[in-house]
Amino acid sequence: MDISVLFFGVLAEVTGTNRENYRNIKSFEDLKHRIGDDFPELIHYNFRIAVNNKIVNEDPLLRQGDAVAYLPPFAGG
Amino acid sequence: MHLINGPVTPGAISEIVAKGGKNLECGAHSLFLGQVRRDQTDGKFVMAIEYSAYEEMVTGEADKIYKSIMSEFDDVKTIEIIHSKGIIKAGEISLLVMVSAGHRNHASKACAKTVELIKEKLPIWKKEIFEDNSGQWRENE
Repeated sequence: MDISVLFFGVLAEVTGTNRENYRNIKSFEDLKHRIGDDFPELIHYNFRIAVNNKIVNEDPLLRQGDAVAYLPPFAGG
Repeated sequence: MHLINGPVTPGAISEIVAKGGKNLECGAHSLFLGQVRRDQTDGKFVMAIEYSAYEEMVTGEADKIYKSIMSEFDDVKTIEIIHSKGIIKAGEISLLVMVSAGHRNHASKACAKTVELIKEKLPIWKKEIFEDNSGQWRENE
């Protein structure tokens, strides 16, 4: 399946991108490995994951066209 | 919830206050303004903050904040939130929250709670920009 991955805040800066499109993803685990290979520097940062605008606490079941967002700690206000 | 480019201007604040006056059920408006502070780190002053947001998610999370506040404070009639994105200079306003209620007790408590929820729940990020153009990402405690 095809998955869009979004990076925000400091994570957009360290990866050098706001959005990457991944094809032929088999599972969330597979996606995490692909992202880890492309952006090994992410391991040094804290973040939460949102799928289609909702934060997930466990590995989600991904579907075709999902948007997976990497969210560093919030800093609004 | 409005995410705007640039600071919350005195004109925008005035418009929100005027809009509140049209609700004749309200006896109290509690207004919070968040301002970019000229902090000093390692001898360098903050000149501005650059805000960015996950806008689609901000909208949904702001709706949850509205619902949570309205259910906790039954005297609250309306909640207005404006947050800036982009570069906001020290001394400029980056957040406005106005809670209007029948009476002052719920207006002020609900306003304070709304500000806390905004800081905790909204996917918004800020980078301090110093006078030498270096930057530092910050997070809420």
